[in-house]
Amino acid sequence: MLVQIPAHGSVPVSSAPPRVVADGVSKWFGALVAVSDVSFDVGAGVTALLGPNGAGKSTMFRMLCGLARPSKGTIRVLGRDPRADTGVTRMIGLVPQQESVFEPLTAREFVALSARLYGLPSPQRAASAALETVGLDPSDRRRLPAYSKGMRQRAKVAQAIVHDPAVLVLDEPLTGLDPRQRADLVALFRRLGSEGRCVIVSSHVLDEVERLGSQVLVMSQGRLAAAGDFRELRALMDDRPMRVRVRTDRPRELAGALLEGGTAVGVLLDGDQVLELDTRDARALAHALAPVAREREARLYEVSPLDADLEGVFRYVVQR
Amino acid sequence: MSTAEATAARPSPLTSLIALYRLLLRTQITVPRLLGIAALGAIAVLIGVLARWDDNSAQAVADAVSSYGLGILVPLATLWLGTSAIGDLVEDRLLVYLWLKPVPRWQLPAAAVLATVTVVVPLTAVPLAASTFAAGAADLAVAAFLASALAALAYAGLFVAAGLWFRRAVWWGLAFVLLWENVVAYTAEGAARFTVIGWASSILGLAPDVDVQLDAGSAAAAFVVLPAIVVGGWLIATWRYRRMDID
Repeated sequence: MLVQIPAHGSVPVSSAPPRVVADGVSKWFGALVAVSDVSFDVGAGVTALLGPNGAGKSTMFRMLCGLARPSKGTIRVLGRDPRADTGVTRMIGLVPQQESVFEPLTAREFVALSARLYGLPSPQRAASAALETVGLDPSDRRRLPAYSKGMRQRAKVAQAIVHDPAVLVLDEPLTGLDPRQRADLVALFRRLGSEGRCVIVSSHVLDEVERLGSQVLVMSQGRLAAAGDFRELRALMDDRPMRVRVRTDRPRELAGALLEGGTAVGVLLDGDQVLELDTRDARALAHALAPVAREREARLYEVSPLDADLEGVFRYVVQR
Repeated sequence: MSTAEATAARPSPLTSLIALYRLLLRTQITVPRLLGIAALGAIAVLIGVLARWDDNSAQAVADAVSSYGLGILVPLATLWLGTSAIGDLVEDRLLVYLWLKPVPRWQLPAAAVLATVTVVVPLTAVPLAASTFAAGAADLAVAAFLASALAALAYAGLFVAAGLWFRRAVWWGLAFVLLWENVVAYTAEGAARFTVIGWASSILGLAPDVDVQLDAGSAAAAFVVLPAIVVGGWLIATWRYRRMDID
């Protein structure tokens, strides 16, 4: 069930034993509030942290990993404070959002460095295995800047999983990957989650999250807007009215016909040629628009959705 | 399920320190940096050659080591590398890859100081010692080497800390070198005692038959003060690294 988050209290996202717990967490930078009073606990499996750019996802992730100290509230990873306890950081793997990498290193050196600093007994062997897991060639001698964006992204994933962490935090890990690579990594994350690890993935792309088949946490403007099963969120989104912009030489006639036919539930005229239509069924509107325009002898110059972006979706979820 | 608890352990301190040291050394060593510092070092040798024609070549090269070597070459080379050692990681948002590892926080600043000194000492202290040979004043070589090497060590501590503390640390460092170390140290009475160049010059004073322009105290004290400065810088950097939010 999709849960509207109460102002206080922790929201269980899965029934598995909690591993990552945020309790009333806020983070502010001067007057800017990046994260505001967020509470949840996340157990084993894949959980997606979903939200538009600037929602506070990366700040939340930094706090989950101990990279930033919450201004208020507490974070516990496997029952320990990741900021104060370097012992727990060895159980966390992080793929940060930033694209920068150590330029003088090859992918193998990059991952082996991670393995060495995690205290693995055979860093080179562990690095090779991690690189193969993400589909990179361990014998590739090119330095990381010579890699494509997608290859660098996979190298970042390899350094995060090289020590087989119990908690994996992935900040926009599918950025820059082609569809095949995305599918491979999504399958990897699902496998890691099904094996009992706690995998938290952030994304601002709804379709990515759908493929992860995961539980979701929805953040908007620094707050937790919703939490629960992604399918519930999807259904909720399908119900929301969508707005479509139409440019035509006969906006009034077109608006009247579409309202009469029931495919539009709201209309806004903007000047002599622009019409904004609210609909609950975008597909029906798309089918109806051309025949209605032909009937009314109206010319269609432009038809475009106005709020198909995530901002619109989240705004709806938050305002609901 | 095998988890990190089962497979990963805290690395031995030496293993992680060496890994960090090697990483920082590789990120610091770039061709422009090496050529730039080597060129500055070559000027020191050239000055030594020219000093040979001075009536008092030993004093002339001692003055050159003090003013050019300890006042310009060593601090600028150390500034360039020291501020970038961790500063570049902060700027490039790469620190995240190191902070998350179960490695004691003191190790990264320590590795940065060691990596900086590893590059700077051969490229500055060696040419300065060579300049004394070029001037025909080989008696000064050991003092020139020790003074510049310990100065590089002290500056490395300060500039590594500055790289963690300030954005655009190189500009703050440049102001420090030019104003504090090269103006205030010479003009304000007693200020030499609070400068690296003052204490390094005191070591240069160990050389026979030369007068140093700047003298912060005894050479024996300098052997304590200069290492103490690097320790201080390292502690400040460690404190900062522990407390800072990593981007």
